[in-house]
Amino acid sequence: MSATTVAAGALQVAGALVAPLAAGTVQTLKARLQGRPGPSPLQPYRELRRLWRKSGVRPVPSTLVYRLAPALVVAAVAVGLLIVPVAGRAPDWGVGHDALVLVGVLALGRFAIALAAWDTASGFALMGAARDLTFAVFAEAVLVLALLVAALPAGSTDLTAMSAAAAGTAVWDDPAHWCAAIAFALVAIAEAGRQPVDNPDTHLELTMVHEGPLLEYAGRELACLQWAAAARLWLLLVLAAELFGPKGGGFWAQAAILAGTVAVLCAGVALTETALAKMRVLRVPLFLGGGAALCLAGMGSWLAGAA
Amino acid sequence: MTPERFTRRDVAPAAWRGEVAAALADGWRFAGLWAEAAGGDGPALRAAFHRHGERLLLAAPAARDTIVDLVPAAGWDEREAHDLHGAAFAGHEPLRALVDHDAPTPQWTVPVEGRDVFQVAVGPTHAGVIESGHFRFHVVGERVLHLDLRLFYKHRGLERAAEGRPVTDALRHAERACGADAVANAIAFAHAVEDARGLVPTPDLARARTLLAELERLYNHLNDLSAICAGVGFAPGTMAFAGLKERAMRLNATLTGHRFLHGSVRVGGSGLAISAPAASELRSALAELRAETRRAWRELQFAGSVQDRFDGVGVLALEDARRLGAVGPAARAAGLAIDARTDAPRLAYRELVPAVPEQPGGAVAAPVEVRGAGLPVGVDLLDELLAAPLEPSVAEPGGASRRDGLALVESPRGQTLCAVALGDGGVVDRLHLRTGSYANWPVLAHVVPGNLLPDFPLINKSFELCYACADR
Repeated sequence: MSATTVAAGALQVAGALVAPLAAGTVQTLKARLQGRPGPSPLQPYRELRRLWRKSGVRPVPSTLVYRLAPALVVAAVAVGLLIVPVAGRAPDWGVGHDALVLVGVLALGRFAIALAAWDTASGFALMGAARDLTFAVFAEAVLVLALLVAALPAGSTDLTAMSAAAAGTAVWDDPAHWCAAIAFALVAIAEAGRQPVDNPDTHLELTMVHEGPLLEYAGRELACLQWAAAARLWLLLVLAAELFGPKGGGFWAQAAILAGTVAVLCAGVALTETALAKMRVLRVPLFLGGGAALCLAGMGSWLAGAA
Repeated sequence: MTPERFTRRDVAPAAWRGEVAAALADGWRFAGLWAEAAGGDGPALRAAFHRHGERLLLAAPAARDTIVDLVPAAGWDEREAHDLHGAAFAGHEPLRALVDHDAPTPQWTVPVEGRDVFQVAVGPTHAGVIESGHFRFHVVGERVLHLDLRLFYKHRGLERAAEGRPVTDALRHAERACGADAVANAIAFAHAVEDARGLVPTPDLARARTLLAELERLYNHLNDLSAICAGVGFAPGTMAFAGLKERAMRLNATLTGHRFLHGSVRVGGSGLAISAPAASELRSALAELRAETRRAWRELQFAGSVQDRFDGVGVLALEDARRLGAVGPAARAAGLAIDARTDAPRLAYRELVPAVPEQPGGAVAAPVEVRGAGLPVGVDLLDELLAAPLEPSVAEPGGASRRDGLALVESPRGQTLCAVALGDGGVVDRLHLRTGSYANWPVLAHVVPGNLLPDFPLINKSFELCYACADR
């Protein structure tokens, strides 16, 4: 194992620590854009520390399903972090680097939280989970499609190969890559539960999607879930940067470029969340359908180019 | 000014329905119904009507028949009279509990049955800074089939507490029914007492009270627009209008010493004095506020993602608005051109025309437009009212005094009725306050079914009703 691979592995693990900072940066930027001073970017860490110290309470009745869900969600996202390469490299963690495995792992986290919502029988939790699963029908399909179109230049769904094939400017000559990039951006918003699909800052229970199933959780379990939400955003940002961001130079240069790209993407998230209101729930499938249409167009263009 | 023409008609319980039907046929509009403790067995019944500045009070020594089929708007009034005073209404079936919270759930909810129907219960404790109210949605998927409201968690028995008190004390009870409509409530009470005592306001007094009422409307409507933006997660709008509201409230504090204008209305006079330099300072501050409001309003107009949320949601049909007795911005949004300010000889509105949107659809877009379009009109009115300095003033005698007084005032949320009955020695025998929020809550419950559950916060905020002043 080369030194850069070890370094890449270290960076992957570091993602778990840096993820809340990315979420906090988006929050701070949003507040500034709205004309408020807002909290420090470190606020999510303070939240996590506060929650970690609190004792937990559980709804009665609830079962093992509810208790296991946070651990499962954390595990799923953690595995996801190990699947996504950093600067085109990643050590062999024994889980591979396949894009489709990543989709499956994210789905597993979603499934665990939906089961937990069912276990609590809380109306708000169930409503949020039901919406999340409804969106998932569309979001997961579009995510797979977008990743497949992005995999066309590499001819493989291995993320390290995809990242390598996406280097340089030649790959952008094919409209397929553009389609994949835009579709991925749309679906990443839905996957991360950001505006305009979901509003992570809302207190309005009736409108919640991802926040709904978290309402019953408290203490460390809630801390785990909040960390997982931040890590999920981080994972999607790194993946976007790896597949569609600029590359170049050696490993360390590329790692620096990656950090810059993620920062730019954070600013982009803050901008869209400020500029756009949350959309009507039944419009979300339409929004994701746009992504699917783009993917199909991309595939068509690739096939036409290959023929 | 000449006081409003007042007619009291005493009717036998058996003739109650007939009299109400006759009044409605004569063009009288229902303004409220309430019970009043009487010496005999069971409470006496009162109903107020209005027609172009005229007031009609129907008084029956006892309750007998319901009028809810003639006036659906009287539904809550009858339920309240039953819960608080034990009045019975034959024909009002089922007479569901309203204020009485001891009643088990099936006694105050409408049964909804069928496949995949489930209930979502929200409140009375909410996740945000929201007053106490319980909403029980019957839904299939995201679609709302029916909404049951349970308010009156903030029922403080203010009306009963005001009984036997001198009017200066009772004024506080009426005013503090709620924080955000305090001026409207207080003016309504003051007008009702002055109406009973045969007093009429001088032009200066009318000007002082109109000024306070419009300052209240200004900050309320800025707050409403901020809340509506929050309902769709549009933070720039939320922050812009919240900032403007804060500035409006600081103007309130400069002028009256209270951000919510509490304690600024008196019975029989006004202590509000504004010197010429203070008036001109206030006018320039208002002009600045007007320009910035206009800017924020334009930005909201051009925010496509926000406008997209407003269309086709929370539609109140004109016919339903009329039938259910909707008032205020909600009624005007539906195309019902009613506004108690057009009919207010005791205030200085002169020739105000109720603002009805160009395309009255009653959807969320329309109440938003009513408020947005009303803001510059309100500021212009304030500017006009501040054209001359203001001196403290006293109401002057202008008619005979009597026991009953009625007043209608347009609060930021709609027409508020205040009825008083004065006893010996100037104490209040009975005080009844029926606020714009009280009138509109049942209308909201009617509008929501058919919409999506996650759109409820938006619809709710397009009405932006107050809980406390409905609960009293």
